[in-house]
Amino acid sequence: MAAGELEGGKPLNELLNALARGTFHGHPGITEQLLRSQLYPEVPPEEFRPFLAKMRGILKSIASADMDFNQLEAFLTAQTKKQGGITSDQAAVISKFWKSHKTKIRESLMNQSRWNSGLRGLSWRVDGKSQSRHSAQIHTPVAIIELELGKYGQESEFLRLEFDEVKVNQILKMLSEVEDSISTLISQPN
Amino acid sequence: MALEGAPRSPILRQTPRCLPIARQQGRRTPCSVLVDFQWKLGMAVSSDICRSLKYPYVAVMLKVADHSGQVKTKCFEMTIPQFQNFYRQFKEIAAVIETV
Repeated sequence: MAAGELEGGKPLNELLNALARGTFHGHPGITEQLLRSQLYPEVPPEEFRPFLAKMRGILKSIASADMDFNQLEAFLTAQTKKQGGITSDQAAVISKFWKSHKTKIRESLMNQSRWNSGLRGLSWRVDGKSQSRHSAQIHTPVAIIELELGKYGQESEFLRLEFDEVKVNQILKMLSEVEDSISTLISQPN
Repeated sequence: MALEGAPRSPILRQTPRCLPIARQQGRRTPCSVLVDFQWKLGMAVSSDICRSLKYPYVAVMLKVADHSGQVKTKCFEMTIPQFQNFYRQFKEIAAVIETV
């Protein structure tokens, strides 16, 4: 088998894409056999297996450390220098891949690390005043808010809540306090 | 690691009453009433799948009463951009409800 079979280029980029989908974004069914047959059909399984493990390990290390670009270059340079490491072509493909996929991978890792439900959506409606012929009661305007909540990998749960104007303003006041806390946190030195 | 935000606020405690029903396209869908709202600002530092998480989040705990008066607790988290969107939407709601 020619050494160039496992070089960088388009197959490696596709491999990293598939590894990211399987490892970080939760896509099932991305097997070693599938990857080899689709991307490296000429490479024997006993050579593809360690190569795949190496690439997966490198991608996981980069993602786990949330490497910035300086750290990334230092890490990949070290990988090119070690025994059984990667080639400089492969390093270039990995570097380019991380730069364009970092945000999305990080977002997936954050979602996986959140064990409570997340807020997936919010919609709302305001119902106006109404009056009954048989009753003197006049309904005051109400806001109906529907929250879509869900844990990672699970179906959404919908929660519909009703607020009058007083309650909306009470919530607003508390959300303002949250925002003040966020500003305080962000302004603190690390 | 959690950084404490404001102290717990009981300002929304109220007795649940019979709920008006929200209508949507002719179907009656029950609403719950918010009984209590608590929040916490936390910082996720590290986890087994990601050693360097480093992101702040807003955790919310709601107590809601359904049509039978039964109170349930619902918890969820928001990233900071999600929270900012949540806050912006509430401001819009407040602006609209004021004019109705």
